[in-house]
Amino acid sequence: MLEHGSALPDPDQREIVEGFARVVAVETGRVWLEPEQSGSCGGCHSAGLCGLGNNNPRRQAARRFPLDGELGLKLGERVVVGVNEGSLSRGAFVAFGVPLLLLVAGGIAGQELGGGDGMAFAGAMGGLAAGFLLSRILANVMSARGQLTPRFLRRAHAPGPDAGCHIDQG
Amino acid sequence: MEHYLLLIVSAALVSNVVLMRFLGLCSFMGVTTRVDTALGMGASTTFCITVSAMIDWGIEQYLLEPYGLGYLRTVTFILVIAAAVQFTEATVRKVSPAMFQLLGIYLPLITTNCAVLGVNLLLVEGHMNFIESTLFALASSLGYSLVMVLFAGLRERLALAEVPRLFAGPPIGFITASLLALAFMGFSGMSTN
Repeated sequence: MLEHGSALPDPDQREIVEGFARVVAVETGRVWLEPEQSGSCGGCHSAGLCGLGNNNPRRQAARRFPLDGELGLKLGERVVVGVNEGSLSRGAFVAFGVPLLLLVAGGIAGQELGGGDGMAFAGAMGGLAAGFLLSRILANVMSARGQLTPRFLRRAHAPGPDAGCHIDQG
Repeated sequence: MEHYLLLIVSAALVSNVVLMRFLGLCSFMGVTTRVDTALGMGASTTFCITVSAMIDWGIEQYLLEPYGLGYLRTVTFILVIAAAVQFTEATVRKVSPAMFQLLGIYLPLITTNCAVLGVNLLLVEGHMNFIESTLFALASSLGYSLVMVLFAGLRERLALAEVPRLFAGPPIGFITASLLALAFMGFSGMSTN
């Protein structure tokens, strides 16, 4: 069993972006985690209004992810998980940058070929669709390499009874 | 091509959406405590601004303006932004569930980001064609992302600096933001657009 603070070594030796998650299901050789909203947005009091609060079970359930391996975690336990900092920027580029680049390229190509706004619009939509396709392929490659999957780092301290917001306690 | 280049520089730097037009200040102060969250928020916002601007341009040109429905502009644009955010969220989840875990948390914040609506309304004032409006939206949102990441980097350093107790936290953040805005005013002599 891994003790608190015994982080698994990062093979790339890069900066790791950490986040908190809670164990919501335990299976043989696998646990399911539900990420907690980090305290990075200062507007905790208005979290219910902007949709970022934890009070939306459907949104939270959609973000559950599995963690393979015998980690000895118990149901309800809080843990610290992490991804490489580079993964976040590469993920952002693949998810948003690639479709945007092809959208603009398609729009410009449409205008150059057709000369009108209608063709430019059609070209942009085509570029966006192609961008999503390329993004999906790149994301699958990254997933296969395990670059997008958060890793277990260590157990987290439980929040105190008066903790009204998710503050870093790892 | 020079025209497009000027448009991009003007939208991203000279008339920066955060520091010159003072839009999106809530997320500017709220999500810039760490560079990685600022980067995720910037990327998500860039995508949503560009896609919603593209759709809003079509609605404005082919529906609101021809039929004299300008009074419905704000409501319509808000609906389009909300739909664009939902569309983006669904698409990212479909394209890569793992990516959605990484970046999905920033998407709901965009719906309430006034910079998104602000850029869309600025496009109407500019009377631009499709490519110009798309490039303007893209450049404006890239300028927003640039400022978010710059400010997050400064705040990460400020968190480690010795700051007088009364200035610690948001006060020193606002002072830093004002200095950043002054620095960006240096770009104002670059273009007359």
